[in-house]
Amino acid sequence: MRDFVYLAPETLEEAAALKLEHDDKAIFMAGATDVIIRLRDHLIAPDYVIDLKNIPDIGSITFSETAGLRIGALATMTQIATNEHVLRHYPYLAEAAAYVGGRQIRNRATCVGNIVNASPLADTATPLYCHDAVLELYSLSGCREVPIQEFILFVRKVALNPGELVTGIRVPYLPGAMGIFRKIARRNEVDLSTVCGTVLKTDNGWRIAMGSVAPTPLRLPKTEALLNAQPLNDALITEAAALAATEVNPIDDVRADRQYRLDIVSYLVRDALTKLR
Amino acid sequence: MEYCVKFCVNDEPVELTVSGSQTLLHVLREQLGLTGTKEGCGAGECGACTVIMDGQAVNACLILAPEANGKVISTVEGLARGEELTPLQESFIDHSALQCGFCTPGMLMSAEAMLRENPTPTREEINRNMSGNLCRCTGYKKIVEAIEDVVAKGVYQK
Repeated sequence: MRDFVYLAPETLEEAAALKLEHDDKAIFMAGATDVIIRLRDHLIAPDYVIDLKNIPDIGSITFSETAGLRIGALATMTQIATNEHVLRHYPYLAEAAAYVGGRQIRNRATCVGNIVNASPLADTATPLYCHDAVLELYSLSGCREVPIQEFILFVRKVALNPGELVTGIRVPYLPGAMGIFRKIARRNEVDLSTVCGTVLKTDNGWRIAMGSVAPTPLRLPKTEALLNAQPLNDALITEAAALAATEVNPIDDVRADRQYRLDIVSYLVRDALTKLR
Repeated sequence: MEYCVKFCVNDEPVELTVSGSQTLLHVLREQLGLTGTKEGCGAGECGACTVIMDGQAVNACLILAPEANGKVISTVEGLARGEELTPLQESFIDHSALQCGFCTPGMLMSAEAMLRENPTPTREEINRNMSGNLCRCTGYKKIVEAIEDVVAKGVYQK
């Protein structure tokens, strides 16, 4: 990889100032499991790499019923997959984190990195979409919050301003919510999702999100509205599964063709509704 | 850009000058001569470069050399004491859990990290924990059996 200046700031202020100063010439890293591959493959060639791991207080995972779950920017997939609060109140998020890469990757990769990377098939994205998670952003001019659906704009495009970084993700608590995360891949372990998705049953209705079926992860509002308008029965499950496939727009690629992905979306919706009814 | 890093490898403190764009894998192999750690894919898919850093199994190919500063790192060379192999290493030999041997250092380090954290994994837990280590020779069965044998003997304790 091309040489660069490695910077390891110890405060958020310092990190934001460095990014503001070097802007497009700098990239943030945390677990670096994506960043180093992109450096190695010359897909990116920054002059500065800003490592966030020496910044205290952005690594914790906290939970309360009022504030919900907060995932700090440095929290790893292993930490999320084994955290007692996540396992208890967001088991489908724990499941999603537990199937990212292999153990060595999960020990380093972060959930925030997974989201900032903005891949359409980010495994932790669909549980977060179902919970209307909110990204907490920091910059020298202040903090702001952006809902995840407004944060991920396109493949590898996110709504970060110059000098801004993500300090954490807030995941609202939905008492009594039950959900299923499924990842369909060519092999069960250490693979990218061909399609991934989360179906969530809450006290206020159904929520469905799918990944790897469009340039960004997607909620399926029409399918959710159909399900929320009437009691669930076999006919409605069939109708919802068919409607779900009309709300996504997958491509053909090396992992699967478009039609396979459409069929899988219908299958995931049908299967999850059947199990959660 | 060059950086002075200090870290501990196999209980030995080291102080080195590294470049920002080097990986820990290259530092271990080329500067420290610890060639037990292998480069397979160089992209975090195969696990041949697995080392234990601050108690966690990690891919050395996905760590920048300056990140190693202040860390405690174990490589496969740190397992045996002189000629005396660890029970896990002996078990790999007893079960013929290797053929070409290229994946073996990574397999040992992944299994070692798992057993230190969870001395009594089930077969399912072993399979999942080892999924980041590829072997193109053995078909994995003997590797899993070698680990299960160590588990059955109660060598590791929490």
